[in-house]
Amino acid sequence: MTFDDETLMAYADGELEATTRAAVEAAMAVDPALAQRVAQHRALRSRLCSAFDPVLSEPIPERLLAAARGAAAPAHPARVIPLRRTPAARWSWPQLGALAASLLLGALLGAWLLRTPTPLGTRDGTLLAAGALARALSEQLAGTQPADAPVQIGVSFRSHSGEYCRTFVLREKQTFAGLACHERDEWRLLALAAGEGQRETAGYRPATSALPAAVASTLDALIAGEPLDAGAEASARQHHWNP
Amino acid sequence: MEENGAPGRSAATGQRLSGPDLQQQLIALLPRLRRFARALARDAHDADDLVQLALERALARADQVRPDAELGGWVFGILRNAWIDEMRSRARRARLFVPAELAEHMGGGGSQPAHAELLAVEEALARLPEEQRSAVALVLIEGLSYKEAAHVMQVPVGTLTSRLARGREALQEMLGDS
Repeated sequence: MTFDDETLMAYADGELEATTRAAVEAAMAVDPALAQRVAQHRALRSRLCSAFDPVLSEPIPERLLAAARGAAAPAHPARVIPLRRTPAARWSWPQLGALAASLLLGALLGAWLLRTPTPLGTRDGTLLAAGALARALSEQLAGTQPADAPVQIGVSFRSHSGEYCRTFVLREKQTFAGLACHERDEWRLLALAAGEGQRETAGYRPATSALPAAVASTLDALIAGEPLDAGAEASARQHHWNP
Repeated sequence: MEENGAPGRSAATGQRLSGPDLQQQLIALLPRLRRFARALARDAHDADDLVQLALERALARADQVRPDAELGGWVFGILRNAWIDEMRSRARRARLFVPAELAEHMGGGGSQPAHAELLAVEEALARLPEEQRSAVALVLIEGLSYKEAAHVMQVPVGTLTSRLARGREALQEMLGDS
């Protein structure tokens, strides 16, 4: 009598009912190959267990105990929040969130805005990209941009309202990450987060998972479908980002 | 499943866990939740973030849990769904920044010893498709029965079994039999 591998697996996992179990055992007694296969299934289980069981005896981080007691600040319960919300000391992001024009004058942006030429402007209370930032948003392609360009374009995508939007990181005296959407030949900023001063490790950039929450959640809220691939990005540029 | 029920309320019916009971049970589950999350997420820091997210969601949905239901399976399901959400969200943002050299800097919590065997197993597990990885983690690492694991993954037992079989085969190939 032969048994398929799923049956042998189920036998090794103790999942067979008595009759089949007895049949497998009878077959194993006369067929060493079957017995060996079962042994392999068991060995894999014990190998996995001995790899992961040590986690059980690790001390539980205090923040998890607090979360289990409901003490941690609840995240938005129903939405995806980026992991590593606190990327340790290396990269902390005061969150500006969806920008109100008044925030522009905040101390955080103040020093940066005083620089000339400034890469931001306002009109009618809307924050717009200007200067080098606007040029990069209009011209740079994620796949071909120089690694040392002061503005790094991230992902480009269509929003639910059909506009083209792009994320970027701007590295100057301070580092900023943001998201801008193209509307009537202008790049309107919808999210901006400032990094802590510059901790210049060569080529240091935030990892995907370290994306500032304000920018990540704006992205998640705006994006319709999937991001543009390289071809769609180039074609959008060719059409001057007009839908 | 009720709506608008505040966690821990309507104790009069005796149907629901009180807030403190639920919290105690979640705390008791923490070691296993961390182990399960580690099997899914690999990176220790990511895994703990995932556990935290699952705890927050579980508490926010406390009105859905019943004392006679298996709490562990319910929270495992929440944790796995949070992981799937995170994977999708990451895939969408994959091109946002260049993570290569940085991922190494930020990886790990620095707390685990660099255990070669653990690394090999984690590496192999991480290469499985999510469905197979979850099946393997629930049955082989967490010791759930096929039925319980299928329930957590919201699939028929037959589907769970074939995912488990494929995952196992792939792992045996990667890790070498023995």
